[in-house]
Amino acid sequence: MTPESSGSTGGGYAPFAHLTAPNAVLYRRLMRTFLTAKERFAVHLRPEDVYAALPPEHRPSDLDAVMKALDRLAEWGNLRADPDTSRVTAVEDFYRKRFIYQLTQAGEAAEQALSAYDEALGRRGALQAVALHDIVTQLRALLVIAAELEEGEPDAAKAHLALSALTGRFEALAENARAFMGSLQRTVDLHGVQVEVFLAYKDRLIQYLERFIQDLITLGGRIAVLIGELEQDGRARALLRLAAAREATDAAPEDAETAEEEAYARWAAKWSGLAAWFVSADGRESQARLLRSRALGAIPQLLTVVRQLNERRAGRSDRSADFRTLARWFAEAPDDEARHRLWRAAFGLYSARHLAVDAETLAQRTARPVAPSTPWAEAEPLRISPQLRRTGSYERRGRARRVTDRSEQRRELAEIAAKQAREIAAARARLATDGATRLSALGELDPMAFGLFLQLLGDALATWRPGTKSTVATSNDGSMEIRLTALADGTTAEIRTPGGVFSGPDHLVEITDLTGPEATYEEVHP
Amino acid sequence: MTTPLGDVLDGRRTAETHKAARALLKEPLLLAQGPYADEFRLVRQHASVLREWFDRNTGWSLRLDAEGARLARTPGSLADPTHPAREASRARAPFTRRRYVLLCLALAALERGEAQIALGRLADQVTLDAADPHLVAAGVEFTMERRDERLDLAAAVRLLLRYGVLRRVAGDEEAYVTGTGDVLYDVQRRVLAGLLSARRGPSTITCGDFEERLAELTAESALDSDDLRFRAIRQTLTRRLLDDPVLYYDELSDEELAYLTRQRAFITARITELTGLVPEVRAEGIAMVDPQDDLTDVRMPEQGTHGQITLLLAEYLAASDGEVSRGDLERRVRELAAEHGAFWSKSAKQPGAEAELVGQALERLTALGLISHTAGGVTALPALARYAVGEAVVTEPGRTAPRSSRTSPTSQRKASQS
Repeated sequence: MTPESSGSTGGGYAPFAHLTAPNAVLYRRLMRTFLTAKERFAVHLRPEDVYAALPPEHRPSDLDAVMKALDRLAEWGNLRADPDTSRVTAVEDFYRKRFIYQLTQAGEAAEQALSAYDEALGRRGALQAVALHDIVTQLRALLVIAAELEEGEPDAAKAHLALSALTGRFEALAENARAFMGSLQRTVDLHGVQVEVFLAYKDRLIQYLERFIQDLITLGGRIAVLIGELEQDGRARALLRLAAAREATDAAPEDAETAEEEAYARWAAKWSGLAAWFVSADGRESQARLLRSRALGAIPQLLTVVRQLNERRAGRSDRSADFRTLARWFAEAPDDEARHRLWRAAFGLYSARHLAVDAETLAQRTARPVAPSTPWAEAEPLRISPQLRRTGSYERRGRARRVTDRSEQRRELAEIAAKQAREIAAARARLATDGATRLSALGELDPMAFGLFLQLLGDALATWRPGTKSTVATSNDGSMEIRLTALADGTTAEIRTPGGVFSGPDHLVEITDLTGPEATYEEVHP
Repeated sequence: MTTPLGDVLDGRRTAETHKAARALLKEPLLLAQGPYADEFRLVRQHASVLREWFDRNTGWSLRLDAEGARLARTPGSLADPTHPAREASRARAPFTRRRYVLLCLALAALERGEAQIALGRLADQVTLDAADPHLVAAGVEFTMERRDERLDLAAAVRLLLRYGVLRRVAGDEEAYVTGTGDVLYDVQRRVLAGLLSARRGPSTITCGDFEERLAELTAESALDSDDLRFRAIRQTLTRRLLDDPVLYYDELSDEELAYLTRQRAFITARITELTGLVPEVRAEGIAMVDPQDDLTDVRMPEQGTHGQITLLLAEYLAASDGEVSRGDLERRVRELAAEHGAFWSKSAKQPGAEAELVGQALERLTALGLISHTAGGVTALPALARYAVGEAVVTEPGRTAPRSSRTSPTSQRKASQS
C-alpha cells in the first residue's frame, strides 16, 4: 500500500472523498481523533490507539472495522501508513500486517477546511467580553512602553509584542462581533428556526447581551480614553514605528528599504481600525457604539420573536403561512359552493341578510298578533304592491320610491304650535296690568297665566338685592316687563289658582305685555 | 304634551346604536377613511355597548382602533354557500377557484412584504408561492403571462382595495392587465392583520378533509360545562338569527331546538334591542324581518326586471306543489315575457335569456331562504308563503293571489306556543 495512492478518485480532492463514502461518519470521527492527537503532539497512532480514543458509544464492535477504515483513508491520501516495527507480544499480531498511521498534509488541510466549514455554519457568533479586558490591559502596557520611549529606553520587542497581542485580540473581537450581528439577524428573522432551539438560545443571548453591554459601556469608554492618551504627542505613531522597524529587521536585505515603510503602513492601518472601533470621529459613529445600539436593539426584536412564538403556541399563527394554507384549501376544495363556504367562515366578510316587512303589515300584527304556531302559509302575508308585480316598479315612471309625504304631520304640528301660542298670548293679556296695582288685586289665575306670572316674578326677584325697594325686569323671552315695588304696610297678598293658593308679602306691581295680541298671532303664521 | 328630554335622548341613542350595529352587520370591516367614515364614527361612539353585546350574545369580537372597526364574525351555519366573495366591479361576479387562490397568495405575500408594493412585484411573488407542491398537485398554476390570469389577479387586488387592505398610489389595474403598465399600492398593515376572522390560524390545522377543516376553523375551545355549552348554543342561534333571513326549525339539532323553544322570546328580544329587527315567528321557523328594509344584501320584493321576475317566479313556485324543474321555470319566464315584457330591460326580452333569468331569480330566492334545490329542480320553502300580491290584483279577471293554503313540504316542528 503506497501512501500517495490518491489518484484513483482524481481531481486532487481525494482527501474529501470520505465525506461521500458510505461510512462517512466513522471516517470523520477517525480523522478528528488524529487531529486531537496532533494537538497533543502525538504524530503516529496505532489502530489500537485510534480504537481506544473513539468515544465508547461510537466505537465499532471490533478493531477490524477501524483498521479497514484507516486503510481506506490512507488510500484517499488523508493518512499515511508506515509499517509498524515495534515489538509485539502476541503471535497473531506478529502475523498481522501492521501499520502505524499519521496525518498527511492533504488530510490535515482537508480536516481544517471541514472544521472551518462546520464552524462557519454552526457558529452563532459570540461577543467576547474578555477581549475587552485584554484590550484594556494591552493598551495600558503600551502606555508604559510609550513612557519608556520618551525616556529614551525603547524596548522594541516589548512594543511589538504588545501591539501584536492588541491587534490579535481586537481582530478576534471584531470578527466575532460581525458573526454575532449576522447570527442575531438570522435568529431574529426566525427563518427555519425551531422553537426549542430558539428558546434555548434566547436565554443565553439575553444574559450574554446584558453582560456584554455592561462591559462595552464601562470598558469601551476606558479604551477610548486610553487610545486618546496614546495618540497624544504622536506616542502611538512612535510605537508603531518601533514595531515596524523591528519587523523590518527580519526582511531580506534587498527589501530593507521598503520593508519598514510597508510594515509601518500595515500597523498604522490596524491602529486606525482599532481607534475607529472605539472612538467616534466627527460624523461617524464608532463601531463599538454601533454594536452597542445593535445589541440593545436586538432585545426588543427578540421579544417580538418570543411573542410570535407564544402566539403560535396559543393557536394563533404565522399569518403568511395561514394565507398560504388557505390558498391550498381553496385549491383543494371540492367545488365552488365549498369555496364560498370557506370564504365566509374564514374571512367573515359578509352582509347580514333579512326579509323586509312594511309598516302596514307590522302595525296589523301589533294589533292582531299572529300565534307562533301558525304556519307561514296560513298567516296574513306581506302584501306586495300590485303595481310592482305588474311593472317591476312602484311608480309608473319607474322612479325610485318617493320621499314620504309628511305634509299632514307638518300641518298637525303647526296647529299645535298655533294653539299653544294663542294660549300664551291669552295668558299674557290676562296678566298685563293696566298701570300699577297691588299683587293682592290680581285675583285668581288659571295655570297657564300663573306659570307665566311665576316666571316673571322669578325674573324680577333675581335682580332683588338687600335694601332694594323697587325693580324693573324683562322676561327671558323679552315678551313682558314687570315693575315691582315693595310695600311697607306688612300686608299679605294671596293669589288663588286651581292648584292651590300662592301667598307672600304684598307688592306694588305693574306688568306690561311687550308683544301685543296682533304680534303674537303673526309669529305663529310665518 | 312634550316628551321629557331624557326620553328624547334615549330614543336618539337607541336609533344611533341600531344604525351602528346595522353598519357592522352589513360591513364587518369599516374604515375611518372612505365610504363608511360616518358609520365608523357611529360605531366608535357606541363601541362599548356594541362590543359587549356582540361578545356576550354572539361571541364575535369587535376590534376597534383609530383606523377602522372590525367585527370578527363567524357564521352560525357553515353550510350556506350563498355568501361568496364578489368582484368589486358592478357585475359582482362570485369569485372562482383561481381568484380565491390568488387572493390568498396575494395576502400571504403582502403579509411578508413591505409597506408598499407594485402589482408586478406582487404577481412575481404570487407566481413563486404558487409553485407550492400542494397547489401544483391540486392543479392550480399561475404564470401571469396570459391576459385572463392577470385579469384574475386584478380582480383579487380590486377586492383588497375595496376592503382597504391596499390603497392605490399610482397607476391602474387595467394597464397591468393589458400588459402596458404597473400599479403601486400602500399596504395598510392593520387592516391586513384584521382580515382573517377565523378562530384558529389555518396553518395550525392539519386535517385533510374539507369539512373537518371548515369545522376546525371555527371551532370553539372545549365546551366542558353545561353553562358553556348552552352559551355556545345561544350564540349559534343568535348568529343565525342575526345573519340569516330565515331560521327553519328542521335545520336545528334537537338540543338547539329545545334551547330555542325555551329562550326564543329572550333571544329575539335581544336582537330587536340591538338592531330594530322584528321577529316573525311561525310554525316552521323564525325570520327576523326588517321594517327598514336595508339590513340586507339581497332584497325581495325589489324593483327592476330581475326583481320582478323573481317575484313572479316566486308566485309561481308558491302556487305549485312540490318540485318544479328548471325547464318549467324557463317556460314560465317565456309566458311572463309575453305579459310583462313591455316593462323589461332589452336584454331580458331576447330569446334564450330565460336560463340566465331563472338562474338569477333562483339564486336570489335561495339566498333569502325561500326555496331549496332538489335533484330535479327546486321546491318552495315555507317562508315563501309570506308574500302575496296586494288586494287590487284580486279584482283583475283571471288572476288569483298567490296565497297558498297547502301545507309546507318541510316538517312542521313547532316552537313554544307562548
